Amino acid sequence: MSSSTEKAGSNAKRTAECCSGRTRASISTWFTGLIRLLLSTVREIFDESAYARFLARHSISSCPDAYAAFLREHGTAKARRPKCC
Amino acid sequence: MKKSISILVWLGVSILGALALGTIALHRGEEINAMWLVVAAFCAYALGYRFYSKFVSAKVLALDAQRATPAERLDDGRDFVPTNKWVVFGHHFAAIAGPGPLVGPVLAAQFGYLPGTLWILAGAVFGGCVQDFVILLFSVRRDGRSLTEMAREEIGVVGGFVAYAAVISIIVILLGAGALIVVNALKSSPWGVFTIAMTIPIALLMGFYLRHLRPGKVLEVSFLGFVLVMLAIWGGQWVSQTPTVAPWFTLTAPALAIVIIIYGFAASALPVWLLLAPRDYLSTFVKLGTIGLLALGIIVLRPTLHMPPLTRFVDGSGPIFAGKIFPFAFITIACGAISGFHSLISSGTTPKLIRREPETRMVGYGAMMAESMVAIMATIACCVLQPGIYFAINSPAGVVGQVPESAAATISSWGFPVTAAGMHALAQAVGEQTLFNRTGGAPAFAVGMAHIFSSSLGGQAVMAIWYHFAIMFEALFILTVLDAGTRVGRFMVQDALGHIWKPLGRTSWYPSILATSALIVAAWGSFLWQGVKDPLGGINSLWPLFGICNQLLATVALCVATTIIVKMGKVRYSPVTLVPLIWLVAVTFTASWHKIFDPSPRIGFLAHARQLASSRTPTHEMSRWIFNDRLDAAVAGVLVCMVALILLESISVWVSVASGRMQARVREAPFVLTRFAAEEQG
Repeated sequence: MSSSTEKAGSNAKRTAECCSGRTRASISTWFTGLIRLLLSTVREIFDESAYARFLARHSISSCPDAYAAFLREHGTAKARRPKCC
Repeated sequence: MKKSISILVWLGVSILGALALGTIALHRGEEINAMWLVVAAFCAYALGYRFYSKFVSAKVLALDAQRATPAERLDDGRDFVPTNKWVVFGHHFAAIAGPGPLVGPVLAAQFGYLPGTLWILAGAVFGGCVQDFVILLFSVRRDGRSLTEMAREEIGVVGGFVAYAAVISIIVILLGAGALIVVNALKSSPWGVFTIAMTIPIALLMGFYLRHLRPGKVLEVSFLGFVLVMLAIWGGQWVSQTPTVAPWFTLTAPALAIVIIIYGFAASALPVWLLLAPRDYLSTFVKLGTIGLLALGIIVLRPTLHMPPLTRFVDGSGPIFAGKIFPFAFITIACGAISGFHSLISSGTTPKLIRREPETRMVGYGAMMAESMVAIMATIACCVLQPGIYFAINSPAGVVGQVPESAAATISSWGFPVTAAGMHALAQAVGEQTLFNRTGGAPAFAVGMAHIFSSSLGGQAVMAIWYHFAIMFEALFILTVLDAGTRVGRFMVQDALGHIWKPLGRTSWYPSILATSALIVAAWGSFLWQGVKDPLGGINSLWPLFGICNQLLATVALCVATTIIVKMGKVRYSPVTLVPLIWLVAVTFTASWHKIFDPSPRIGFLAHARQLASSRTPTHEMSRWIFNDRLDAAVAGVLVCMVALILLESISVWVSVASGRMQARVREAPFVLTRFAAEEQG
């Protein structure tokens, strides 16, 4: 086998490896994004995000008193929200 | 090239959908695989979303990506928060998914799987999804205004009042019907009662944990709660098999009704953080998980439907509820196809989270499609049962009798063979004493779900565990609606009474809290009591009444939507909401007429009252049933009259606008350019 053929073969191999590496990376990015999105959805559904926003708005850290204040503010609105049939 | 591929793909979807629908509709005398329903549903939703919702968003609503939403303009980090569209989608779906799409299709399956399936698909694509979508968009364009406020502003004072009255009526009847379903699912079932009873201390523990030990860690505590509930299900088996303990949890229907009424009152009067919020989290956790699991189970197992496409009961002689396929199939399915209640969510929290106008399509139209898919799964879950078993579970004692042998003989005489011994073996397999006369839809759904789950995972050995998991899921689901609904109803009554005497409107004043909680609990409690005592099975009266209320609320929402479309100067596109509106008016008004005036005592409230009144040996209990019948007739009549009023007021607005007597002007928030579009372009 000539050296040019070998070189072309190794280039093709490298390109294939590079492509599969890029594909793996993009799949991994997509998967991480999906997990992050799912987590942020459940955090929103379960009011964890609302609590985080409350802490940020009032510039306080999480503690029983802060959570009690959040529940006072958020609980009334939550209790007024109709549950669907 | 890309366009050609797209055309080919959508052509393929259309052909596949038509093939699946054709298989569902045209197969007679042969059992079909449930996957045909799943494929038909996916294709119908895909086509509906791709073409119909796109038409509505482009031509009718003219969604504007440049227009700032209230979440952006009024962003306060509390109620108004611009949120990722998928997150809003999940949030909206979790809010709209209730027990209705599970129970309604199970009851409507007495007509066979075909009518329910067709209505769930057509009703959702052309009615329910459109309603949720347009109401969401109109609320977004009005700073997140509620349906009641939009009705008052766009139609008139009557519109606002009717929307309020419809909401409170539907809440009361829904709670009564929901509580009755729980009673029927748990009566004489120590396993189920123990598991559900344990969810109360678990919720209290979760509330304490959240408030004092790990503040704000809701996901963590929900997972912990879920594990504890699983342990409670496992423990329930021991309870049911222990002769000394089992009697404590073996309750009759009236005893269970009293316990649930006391629970509803306590949940309304206790602080939110202690019971209501943790139960809500636990219920949502279980709900989303179970729906996902059921979808997976159906796809993995691909079960065969044993129920015929149409049964002999299309003539109105059905044992589960009386009445012909029109209008009662549509009233019964309710939320799986179109739900008035959704318009409250679409004009509640969701419009305050929408980041860009075009996202209302995916959230409003898309989430209702997912809800409709849940209804299809419920249809599959009950139709995989042998029809004889389905009717044995769902038929009330007043129709088939209380003795197993005679009930089995009656059901077999309808052409759906079932034996008392077979039913006894099935009851043993799921850990129950009996499965006869377990009306309400929940036990039949649980048996179907347990059949699917146990066939996919664990086999017959774990059938009882899966059955009680399904019962726990439904009961937890309904009880969460019940405690939250009682509280919402209490707030609404307090708001109204506050206009008469200010202190009654104060939500922190305990005498007012106790009085209004008692009032709202008494309202739904009386419906529940009526259902428990009714010899024909109260669900026969209560579910159609609930369906009528729900669909009337949808009628109000579609009136609001059509009025706004007409006022936008788009009369020619008004059929998008006008056609579902006309259909709903036909269905609800016909159903109400039958429920009030039908000469058959099994259908008409007044005929039933007359039949009881003509009895030669009247008893005190009979006079109470007569009163209940007249009350039900009055409730249905008043609701229909109110909706007729709002309809007339809406028509008057449409005619005025169309004839040029009224200026076509809507009350939208002023246009503000969004910064999100500029950010994306930059």
